[in-house]
Amino acid sequence: MFKFFSSSNIYFLIQKLIKFINSVFFLILVIGLTFALILSPPDYLQGDAVRIMYVHVPSAWIGLACFSLITLLSVLNFIFKIKNFYFINKSIAPIGLLFTCLAIVTGSLWGQPTWGTWWAWDARLTSMLVLMLFYIFLILSFKLLNKKESIIKVSSIIAVTGSINLPIIKYSVEWWTTLHQPASIKITGSSSIHSEMLLPLMVMLLVFLLYAALIFLMKYKTEIIRIKKKNIKRD
Amino acid sequence: MISDFITMNGYGLFVWLSFSIVFFSCAVVYFKTKKTLKKYEREFLVELQALTLEEKNKVLENSKVAQQVLSASFKKN
Repeated sequence: MFKFFSSSNIYFLIQKLIKFINSVFFLILVIGLTFALILSPPDYLQGDAVRIMYVHVPSAWIGLACFSLITLLSVLNFIFKIKNFYFINKSIAPIGLLFTCLAIVTGSLWGQPTWGTWWAWDARLTSMLVLMLFYIFLILSFKLLNKKESIIKVSSIIAVTGSINLPIIKYSVEWWTTLHQPASIKITGSSSIHSEMLLPLMVMLLVFLLYAALIFLMKYKTEIIRIKKKNIKRD
Repeated sequence: MISDFITMNGYGLFVWLSFSIVFFSCAVVYFKTKKTLKKYEREFLVELQALTLEEKNKVLENSKVAQQVLSASFKKN
């Protein structure tokens, strides 16, 4: 079982997965964009501005999911000392930062026509900004620190501290009076979004997830080669 | 019809700008990541080629990753 997770087998699997994602990505992207920009109906209040949702919401979800995963892997790495988790975290962090920044920027572009402002120090927006800062600290810890043990320690502290912000982001729209609307999609309970908008949103989420997986696999493959290069004489 | 699609009933600027920023940023990150990966693959191959035949055989024997990087470079060439 553990032999299966050796870097050689993982490297082989990564190559297969990259090929698979490359082969299906553009087809799903075209379907997603057709739904998001042409087939989905405009909102009765927001009109066509609602189409920004198809890039804003998946970006925010992936930004949050990446940080949750980083926190989980940091804790597990801290306890069980599994070195692969460190490389996974190092590969995920830039993806999380990218999507968090995109969620903030597209949210701002959505805010101008609907709220009449690009930015407000509202609880949801501010907590997303804090998440972006935690991603920046995390990436800086990977880049600036030299000793692997210090990197693991510092990045774990940043991840665990930053994870306090995750429920604040999720429940900010319920705990405080915010400009940002409450969640329309609920895992438990009924969603208030119409299926004609939910379907394009799910297709766009799939597109973003495939893209995130592709970047992660390429970054992880780079890490494997970097380690192998470092240890070439020892092999 | 086409002008309606472009103007999006007055929201075109915001919608198109959002989609453009997302796709431009994603494309930049994709190409930058790919470039870094290729750079490391190239550097790894150079180091592999610099080894003596004995060392090279030993590395190839022990590392499947080295075998795969080398075979991928042969396929490309």
